[in-house]
Amino acid sequence: MTHMHIPDGILPVWLWVSGFIVMAIALGIGLFRLRSMDMKKKIPLLGAVSAAMLVAMSLEILPIAYHINLSVVAGILLGPALGFVAAFIANLILALVGHGGITVIGLNTILLGSEAVLGHTLFYLFKKILPVFWRAAAATVITLFVTTIMLIGIVAASDLNPEFFTHAAEHGAAFKGQISVSTFAIMALSLGSIGWIVEAAITGAVVRFISQVKPDLLVHVLHGNKAQGGPREGTQ
Amino acid sequence: MIDVARIDHWAASGSGPLHRASTLSKILFLLLVVAAAVTARHPAPLAAGYLLLLAAAAAAGLPWLRMVALSFYAALFAVLYGISLRGGAWMYALMILKAITPAYAMLTLIVSTPYPKIFSLISALLPEILAAGLYMTYRTFFILLDMMDNFIAAIRLRGGFSPGSLYKNSANISKGIGMLLVRAVERATRLYAVMAVRGYSGKMAETRAEGFRGPDWLPLGAGVFVLMLVILWK
Repeated sequence: MTHMHIPDGILPVWLWVSGFIVMAIALGIGLFRLRSMDMKKKIPLLGAVSAAMLVAMSLEILPIAYHINLSVVAGILLGPALGFVAAFIANLILALVGHGGITVIGLNTILLGSEAVLGHTLFYLFKKILPVFWRAAAATVITLFVTTIMLIGIVAASDLNPEFFTHAAEHGAAFKGQISVSTFAIMALSLGSIGWIVEAAITGAVVRFISQVKPDLLVHVLHGNKAQGGPREGTQ
Repeated sequence: MIDVARIDHWAASGSGPLHRASTLSKILFLLLVVAAAVTARHPAPLAAGYLLLLAAAAAAGLPWLRMVALSFYAALFAVLYGISLRGGAWMYALMILKAITPAYAMLTLIVSTPYPKIFSLISALLPEILAAGLYMTYRTFFILLDMMDNFIAAIRLRGGFSPGSLYKNSANISKGIGMLLVRAVERATRLYAVMAVRGYSGKMAETRAEGFRGPDWLPLGAGVFVLMLVILWK
């Protein structure tokens, strides 16, 4: 539930503009960290993981347009900086196929990018405690819970622009221009929790499979070609 | 299911006035319609704007009826969001139109413009790594879709799907996604190596923006008309 399918023109301007600003800052920081990256290794990986995210997002697993994101897998394979970039690319392409509005690209990138960053961090934090499958699954459940709370926070913050409803009286519509955050929160948390478990199981299995078949994909070294002793951004 | 492959086919195979219009004019058209949706306070002008977009798409030989169905995909999400709002029919009408009108404009853009042209324009504004990542994702996506189709066919033939066995199905699908990821990385690495041998030096395609052309009157006129409708509606 952490990828907002809210179309254009629903959220107040200040909110989605803020989303673009925060996304630009986060992308700027990410790109700064990637400035001396080994392009030959990382661009194909970035393309493959972003494309896998898009394929996963195209598979509806619950009849409420719920789909898996693989954003935690992206974070684990690419690292936080490149994972955030993958989230941006996936959201941009999704918006270009009409899946979510253009104006919410910023907010969606923040949500999906947070999943990549948090998922990566938790996966490596649990390194000594859990085996690979459970590490990835636990990281996914915690990450999705946190980002669902972020999503509810965004919806609560939106509180729909009051001007949006100024013509209500003229049309006899019996409503107040307020969002029921509690209704939305109940929906997001109850439906979302089913999705977290499905996504956690798939993420755990995918990461375990990769660790068995091609473990070097789990060791992401951003600046490996610069110097043998160059900085490493997280290793398994 | 996002039918990107079909959209790509429509974009590459058409020859109507919207296909001949420049990418820049169609992106401006999209931004004008998004601006109209953002500023709209009444469903009527958006409904009129939606009908106008529909007429423009039909006149330009686009698959307008399929586009209607695809644009209503956005309405589903608007309704899901709308459930959490306290509102009446007027508000839901406005919300659905705010969703489907820009979605139709977006579909008009992507159904009449091949992705490389859109990416070329966007890439002019993006840092190199984002532009390269965007192209590589686009290329790999179609490879992956193909592999996914083959994988699903293979797993069905070998009895990998058992109705009612959620655990077995999930395990097989997860292994399939893992295998697809590994193979996609290998293929993307090969593709990148081939491009490097052919002289790739950081830029994936020409990022020169096209100038305006004769057929641009259609997207630009439609976009301005929709925005004016919304602004002037009393």
